[in-house]
Amino acid sequence: MGSVRAEFIKLRRSLSWAVVVLLPLAAVGSGGGNTALSGEPLADGWHTLWLRVVVFYGLFPLAVGVAALASLVWRAEHEGGNRNALMARPVSGLEVAVGKFAALAALTAAMQGVLVAGTVVAGKAVYGLPGSLPAEYLLVSVLIVVACLPVAALQSGLSMLMRSFGAPVAVGLLGAGFGVLLVALRADALAAAVPYSLLSRATQVGTGVFADPGPITAEGAADAAGLAAAALVLTAVAVAGTAAVLERRDVA
Amino acid sequence: MSTIITTHSLTKSYGDRTVVDGLDLRVPEGCVYGFVGPNGAGKSTTMKMLLSLVRPTRGEVRVMGRRMDRSTRRELLGSIGSLIETPPAYAHLTGAENMRLVQRLLRLGDGRVDRAVRTVRLQDHLDKRVRAYSLGMKQRLGIAMALAREPRLLVLDEPANGLDPAGIDEMRHLIKRLADDGITVMVSSHLLDEVDRTATVLGILGGGRLLFQGTRDELFSRSVPDVLIDTSEPERAAAATEPWGGTLDEGTVRVPGLDHPATAEVVARLVDARVDVYGVRREDRSLEDVFMDLTRGRGL
Repeated sequence: MGSVRAEFIKLRRSLSWAVVVLLPLAAVGSGGGNTALSGEPLADGWHTLWLRVVVFYGLFPLAVGVAALASLVWRAEHEGGNRNALMARPVSGLEVAVGKFAALAALTAAMQGVLVAGTVVAGKAVYGLPGSLPAEYLLVSVLIVVACLPVAALQSGLSMLMRSFGAPVAVGLLGAGFGVLLVALRADALAAAVPYSLLSRATQVGTGVFADPGPITAEGAADAAGLAAAALVLTAVAVAGTAAVLERRDVA
Repeated sequence: MSTIITTHSLTKSYGDRTVVDGLDLRVPEGCVYGFVGPNGAGKSTTMKMLLSLVRPTRGEVRVMGRRMDRSTRRELLGSIGSLIETPPAYAHLTGAENMRLVQRLLRLGDGRVDRAVRTVRLQDHLDKRVRAYSLGMKQRLGIAMALAREPRLLVLDEPANGLDPAGIDEMRHLIKRLADDGITVMVSSHLLDEVDRTATVLGILGGGRLLFQGTRDELFSRSVPDVLIDTSEPERAAAATEPWGGTLDEGTVRVPGLDHPATAEVVARLVDARVDVYGVRREDRSLEDVFMDLTRGRGL
């Protein structure tokens, strides 16, 4: 799709890459760093390290990071005559929305990749953990990326509507707080309809924190599949909504 | 000559404020249409409605014989290049990357992109980031991005705005070259002088209304310059011509809006009043004067 390829060209030299690299490394640094400073060993090896890095990261930094990426991806469209040019081309609102979403999805996946790589490096180099990060956390990482998609799609829509860089990020922060609240209250039905809750829940899979039962079982895998399905449905709704607004809205 | 853009009663209101009021534009195919009016006259809003970036409150736009609206715009925009308000382009990318982006988006061949870049003479500056471009280069890149789809119609909103005299001259030559290649160019400006020499048809907008539409010659022929009368007794002459709106202007009597019979009537009145008439002439007026009169609400 032409709009996707065009969006990837726009990512060159983008500030987005700084968020992609720095935010997960900060999470690894703060999660792993606290443990190192306390001088206590990692009680359960890789599992404890993953828990300390990822759970806090999933409470709000990840959602805020995705929101910041969405603001950055849309920022250039709000500059100069770019919005006029974007909408005066023979390209549909859906193509524009999908192009932006695809760029955000790629950035989000790259961010998770940095988080995993950072965790592995910290586990080996700082704690000298044996082996490597268990494969189940790679699957959880895929689930986290999938759970980020509806947040990315929703934040993309917000950043399309708002010229301000900070306003959609603030909405992302509030959304993250609300999402965590729903997860903590175990309001599962409502949480399944709130993108930020899905993201937060996905980062807890296998950790035993909040609503999570701990080690991944067959039942847990079914829950994860349900979470991924809900994420994909919400993503489709958010992308379609963004496209519809782009088609209908006048360019101010 | 067929028209490439036609509008009927095109109107845009925001709340109680009407910014474009009942425009009936006729843009002939193959012309350079100079769309002129002071800042705030409604030029950009009109152009945005032509591209369906903004929906009209009333009226309709037809482009290339088809109604332009949200359901048809994608098809029509394939034949329309545009540059609205400030030039587009992603400042963190080079000129080449910006062109490649348009190429990928619209699935265009290399040949089209090369031709567009050469038309605006930007081929030697493509490796620079757009952030380092001058305003003139940004405008040219914006036009190249619009030209790459090889449009039949090019809509340029104030392309000379902010350019130095050399840049304005270069823009004029570019518009002429595009017109020579058979592209219909609609170009707006708040300065008549910027489009006067390139436009074959003028549309003059003031307060959201179309004050004039036609050729340069038609604009001149429809304007009635003031009659200036030199007499032996200017003050008495001014008093005698007061019913026609005569005033004293540095020793000369100035009477606006007189046609030939009315001019003869005024001269007869002065003769009756025994004022010696030394000379009667029409004021020399530039096209700019005519434009200024129009847009200040004095009419033609």
